[in-house]
Amino acid sequence: MVTGPALRARVSEAGLAYLLLLPSLVFLATFTYWPILRSIYFSFHDVVLGSNKIYFLGFENYERLWTDKLFWKSLGNTVFYTLVTIPCAITVALLLAVALDSKLRGMTFYRSAFFYPVMIPSVAAGMVWVFLYAPGYGPINSAIAALGLPKVEWLYDARWALPAIIFMSIWKYAGYFMLILLAALQMIPADLHEAAKLDGVSAIDRLIHITVPLISPTLYFVIIIGLLHSYQIFDYVYVMTQGGPADATNVLTFYIYQNGFQYQDIGYASTLANVLLLFVGGLITLVALVFGRRVHYLGR
Amino acid sequence: MAEVVLQGVSKSYQGKPTVHAVDLAVADKEFMVLVGPSGCGKSTTLRMIAGLEDITAGRLLIDGRDVTHAEPQKRDIAMVFQSYALYPHMTAYRNMAFGLLKTSSLSKPEIDRRIREAAEILHITHLLERKPNVLSGGERQRVAIGRALVRQPKVFLFDEPLSNLDAKLRTHMRGELKRLHKELGLTVIYVTHDQIEAMTLGTRVAILSDGRLQQVGAPMDLYMRPQNTFVATFIGSPEMSLLRCAMKPNGSGSVVSHPAFTTHVPERADAGEILLGVRPEEVIVGPADGTALACGRVDRTELIGSEALAEIVVGADRLVARTPVTKVPPLGAEVGISFDMERVRVFDAASGRVLSRL
Repeated sequence: MVTGPALRARVSEAGLAYLLLLPSLVFLATFTYWPILRSIYFSFHDVVLGSNKIYFLGFENYERLWTDKLFWKSLGNTVFYTLVTIPCAITVALLLAVALDSKLRGMTFYRSAFFYPVMIPSVAAGMVWVFLYAPGYGPINSAIAALGLPKVEWLYDARWALPAIIFMSIWKYAGYFMLILLAALQMIPADLHEAAKLDGVSAIDRLIHITVPLISPTLYFVIIIGLLHSYQIFDYVYVMTQGGPADATNVLTFYIYQNGFQYQDIGYASTLANVLLLFVGGLITLVALVFGRRVHYLGR
Repeated sequence: MAEVVLQGVSKSYQGKPTVHAVDLAVADKEFMVLVGPSGCGKSTTLRMIAGLEDITAGRLLIDGRDVTHAEPQKRDIAMVFQSYALYPHMTAYRNMAFGLLKTSSLSKPEIDRRIREAAEILHITHLLERKPNVLSGGERQRVAIGRALVRQPKVFLFDEPLSNLDAKLRTHMRGELKRLHKELGLTVIYVTHDQIEAMTLGTRVAILSDGRLQQVGAPMDLYMRPQNTFVATFIGSPEMSLLRCAMKPNGSGSVVSHPAFTTHVPERADAGEILLGVRPEEVIVGPADGTALACGRVDRTELIGSEALAEIVVGADRLVARTPVTKVPPLGAEVGISFDMERVRVFDAASGRVLSRL
C-alpha cells in the first residue's frame, strides 16, 4: 500500500496531469462538445436565427429527411465522392510512395513535387482547377481538342462535374497520403524485401504480400483520415460549382451550409449535421471492424 | 555439385573501392567462412555472391556458370540474414512456404513435405503455426534456416546469423549448424566477425581486411601459419604478441636482437627490422635466472578459468603469456621468459609479411 510521502507524490502528480489537461478540455468542451449537444437540441426545434424564438418540433425534422430528395441526392453524392476518391487517392499514393522509396538521385525533388498540391490552400487549388476545367480556354479542353476529341464542359455538365471534383481531390490528397505511406515504407526492414527477392518473388507479389501487410497500420490510418476528410468536403464544391449543375455536386456538408446559412433553417441544418455525424461514425466503425482485424503491427 | 568461384571480384561505391579483386574458390560441400573486422568487405562480398549488390569488376561462377550479372533468384542460392528477415505477418510455416508457393512449380503436398522434413531436422515442427513475434531468437534462427533449406539451393549463404543470439545459444547453434552441414552435405558461405565462430565452423576460412583477401586456409593452418601480421593478430585470443627486433643473417638462419634478448631463428632474410610473433602458449614463464631467454616484469594478470594470462613487459614491448592457474606470477614480479622457437613466426616489419623458413 502506498502511504505517506509516496502517496502525496502520486496525488500531486495526478493533480498536475489534470491541471495540464484542463485548458484543452475547456477548449474541446466549448468548441466541440457543446456545439454537438446544441445541434442535437436544435434538430428537434425550429430555430429562427437572430431571435430568441425557438419552437419544439419533435421528430419533424427527421421525418422530413425521408422525403427530402435533395438530402438523399447529396448523401449519394457524398458517398460516391468518398468511395471513388479515397481508394483512388490511396492507390495512387501507394504506387507513388513505392516508386519514390528509393535512394536514387533526385528523389527528394520528386517527393516534394508530389507533396506540393497538399501545401496549396484549398480555395486557391479550387480556383486553379476552375481555370484548368474552363470549357473555352481551359488547358484540359485544349489538350482534348488537340487529340481531336470533343470538348467537355467539365464543371457545367451534370455528368462530369462530380468526377471533375473527384479527379482534382485525388490530385490534392494523393501527395499527403503518399508522404505518410512513404514514411511507413521506409520502416520496413530492407532485408525482408531482399529475402523475397532471393526467393524469386516478383515485384507485384512483394507489394501485395509483404509491403501492403507491413504498412497495414498506416494504410488503416490513411483510410480513416481519408474518410473523415472526404465527408467534410465543402471548400472545392463551394469554390468550383456551388453544388451545381442541378445539384450534381451537392454534397452533405454543402447542403447543411445551404440550409443553415442560405435558408437560415438552423433546425433542419442541425438535423442534417447529426445524421452526417452518425453516418461517418457508423462508417468508421464499419471500417474498423473490417480492416482493423487485418492490420498487422510490426513486432507484435 | 555446387562450386562457387570468385575471380577478381571487386566492388566500388561511387568510385571508392570497398572490395579489391577477391579470388576465392569454394568447393562443393565446403563450409567456407569469410571473417574479418567490421567494414572489411565480408558482407559486401557475400551480398555480391547473393546478387543483392552489383559486382563492379570480376566474375562470379556457380557450378561453372557465369552468374556475375544474373538476378538473385537465378543463382540458385538461399540466404540466412543476421536479422533472420522473417516475414512478421506470416506463421513459421508460411514463412517457409512463401517463396516456393510464389515461384516454384512444386505441388502443395510436395511443399508441405519439404517444410515438415526441414522442420523435423531443425526441431521446429511444434512451432510451425506460430508467428515470429512469439518465437525466441534461436527459434527464429531455425525458421530462417528452414526457409533456406526447403528451397534446396545449391549454395547457402549466412550473413552473421548468430550475432543476435546470447553466448550460450550461439554455442548451441554453432553445433547445430555444423551438424546440418555434415548431415545434409551443404555448400555454405558464412560471414562472421567472430574468429571463434570462424575457427569452429569453417572447413576453410577466408580472412579479409580493408576489402582485401589476406589468407585462405584451414582454421589450424591460419592459426599455425599466418601469412601476415594481420592474420597473426586477428586469429587467436588473446592475440599473438609482436616484438620489434633487428635481424641479421647468420649461418643457415638469422640472429634476432631485441633490447632484452638475442636469439637465433631458422628464417633468413636481408638484415633489417622484423616482428617476432609469439602466441601466449608459446611463452614459457620461469624464474628470472640465467636459464631464461629474457627477463620481464609482470604488469597484469587475468584468470580465465582453468588458465591465466599474464601480461609481461619486455623492454619496450609487452607480451601475453598463458600459464596454469597454479603458477600465476605475482604482479610486478621479475620473471624469466623463453619461447617455443619451433613455433614463433617472423614477420617483415615493413610489409608485415611472414618470412619463409628455410
